[in-house]
Amino acid sequence: MRSKKTLFSIGVFLLLSAMSLIGSEAATPSPAKEIPISAEMKEKFPIKAHHAKLSLKCTDCHENQGDNPENFKLIGDEGCLSCHKSKVYLAERLKFMDTLHVNPHNSIHDGPKLYCDECHFEHQKSDNMCLSCHSNDVKLWMRETP
Amino acid sequence: MSKEMMSRRDALKLGVLGAGAAMLSASQAMAAAPTEKDVKFDEEYDVIVVGSGFAGLAAASKAAERGLKVLILEKMGRVGGNSVINGGAFAVPNNRDQKQFGIEDSAELFIKDALKAGLGINHVEMLEVIGKRAQETYDFAVKCGATFQAGKKPTWFGGHSVARTIVTSNMSGSAIIQPMAAFVEKLPGCKLMTRTKFDDFVMSADGTSVVGVTARTNYRFDNKLLSDDVENKSGEKKVYRAKKGVILASGGFSMDKVYRQLQDPRIIPTQDATNHEGATAGAMLKAFQIGALPVHIDWIQQGPWASPDERGFGVAPLLTQQGLFVKGVAVDVRNGKRFMNEMADRKTRADAEYVILHQDPKAFPVAIGTYNTFDEQVYAAVEKGLASGVMKKFDTLDALAANYKIPADALKETIKKYNEDAKNGVEDQFKKQSLKDVKGKEAIEMKGPFYGIRLMPKPHHTMGGLKINVKAQVISANTNKPIPGLYAAGEVTGGTHGASRLGSCAIADCLVFGMVAGENI
Ligand SMILES: Cc1cc2nc3c(=O)[nH]c(=O)nc-3n(C[C@H](O)[C@H](O)[C@H](O)COP(=O)(O)OP(=O)(O)OC[C@H]3O[C@@H](n4cnc5c(N)ncnc54)[C@H](O)[C@@H]3O)c2cc1C
Repeated sequence: MRSKKTLFSIGVFLLLSAMSLIGSEAATPSPAKEIPISAEMKEKFPIKAHHAKLSLKCTDCHENQGDNPENFKLIGDEGCLSCHKSKVYLAERLKFMDTLHVNPHNSIHDGPKLYCDECHFEHQKSDNMCLSCHSNDVKLWMRETP
Repeated sequence: MSKEMMSRRDALKLGVLGAGAAMLSASQAMAAAPTEKDVKFDEEYDVIVVGSGFAGLAAASKAAERGLKVLILEKMGRVGGNSVINGGAFAVPNNRDQKQFGIEDSAELFIKDALKAGLGINHVEMLEVIGKRAQETYDFAVKCGATFQAGKKPTWFGGHSVARTIVTSNMSGSAIIQPMAAFVEKLPGCKLMTRTKFDDFVMSADGTSVVGVTARTNYRFDNKLLSDDVENKSGEKKVYRAKKGVILASGGFSMDKVYRQLQDPRIIPTQDATNHEGATAGAMLKAFQIGALPVHIDWIQQGPWASPDERGFGVAPLLTQQGLFVKGVAVDVRNGKRFMNEMADRKTRADAEYVILHQDPKAFPVAIGTYNTFDEQVYAAVEKGLASGVMKKFDTLDALAANYKIPADALKETIKKYNEDAKNGVEDQFKKQSLKDVKGKEAIEMKGPFYGIRLMPKPHHTMGGLKINVKAQVISANTNKPIPGLYAAGEVTGGTHGASRLGSCAIADCLVFGMVAGENI
């Protein structure tokens, strides 16, 4: 996950071109073969706009999972949190929502404990779990789940 | 192995098998629980608990506190099933807060109320245990970290002849579940695994006792399947030994689209319910397969306080049960008249609402009241109800009547009569018990503003399940005696509540018998 972290910590936009030159790959012990992303694959495994903006490659998340996207496995909480730090950190960022008890990362029911992919899906539409019981009020608190 | 071959050979003899696919499904259909000879155990615990709701966590906490090594299996990603989305209302007969507020109560009165709502078919010996041990169980929950709005006047739920319900600090069962889960996980050797599904029991070599379970880790519940229990093949197989036994606390089946409709064909797969998606019958059916006795399976309780204007449980149940129903009224929009005791038991009320909805599926009755009807414990929910549009607020009864298309004059007449009866201390036409509290006052304050919520019953609680005795041991249909190594508690058990459970008695039932299971295993 080193390459993803690097992307975040350095000023992404300025350094993008430089990175593609020196490449963060140099830091990765056994670099996975770069997987060319065809239009067909883009359609089959679309990624979220905020991740696309960072020019994430398949193997930035699917580390050491070979080079066939069809066989990739879920990266789990650990994968997400290698960039997004911790669930407590994410809950803190939405702390202002705690006043109304509507912080999705620190809900009354679950606290900062849910699996990321209870709601967030990278290659398909995300789902807001709160909606299953709070169909009406969710739209007052939150925009669409990223 | 030999068992499996036997069953295939038997099936062949019976001429059931043809093509390969048919063979597979036939052998699946006939598969019996494996015995310890058929499996290799991956891990070993003293106690295995299936389910992380009130019943499972109370059982695990008690067993773990006794020094036992406990593994809790939870198939969903989130901990707590129905318990963690629950409204946090806990009926504690004869509790300390009642005494402080001069409310007289007793275990006997509680049992009488439960029997009335349950149409007399309740297993009374179970109610006796709840009546006797609820306060002690409440204290145990507090010891494990649960927090309540104690010291307030208890809230008054439908069907109870007195106010005896204590509400958690955050109006949700999570104020019990989160600390209890942490309590167990902190104890040595204990573990809670989510996304881990119990698949089957492992029996002793002679097939009489439960000695473990088969399960799948990394299991992902799939709400798009008609029957997750039957169709979902995700996860990796694991086998766990339970040296002292297994406690089944897998909850009810109000969200089992197949099984609930078999019990009541009117509950079609698309029917909304108040429960979490994982409330399915699979685990209970496995217990039936090893001989557990079924009780009262087709009594499915519908919540008469739910609203068609939101999905699932939502906010309406708090604002009606601990609000509009207490001092307000529910009326038939077609004629502006009351049609039930708003504080009757749930079955009586849901049945009354269905009489209207079967005549006209769009004529959702409306609950109406003024601010004085809301219990202090739910003040925080009032704004939420209004903001989300589930509850509406009107300055005048005319405006309310116009919005819900209720004949205004008839509605005013209904409320006038209702208020007069309440004020004069005269028993109203439906014998509403909570009106005793407003003698000499206006039940619905005519200065307004007036609040309204549309009503629609939703499947909420499955009364039926496994037969357990007062020690939480599961009784076998083969012997009429306990199945060695198998205990159960909570909504997966049946009989306690008879035909219909009184509101706020599930927490009592689940925690008390969870604790009992944890004590006895
Ligand atoms: C929205 C709502 C509000 C409620 N409010 C109240 C209230 O205020 N007061 C009250 O007294 N009652 C209330 N009830 C009822 C009460 O919450 C439930 O009856 C109670 O939570 C049941 O507890 P349980 O431990 O038996 O089951 P649950 O809490 O449902 O837990 C069972 C768990 O077992 C898991 N499970 C099932 N099968 C498997 C398997 N094969 N492998 C692994 N895990 C499995 C489920 O996923 C679930 O998490 C409410 C119910 C709902 C739905």
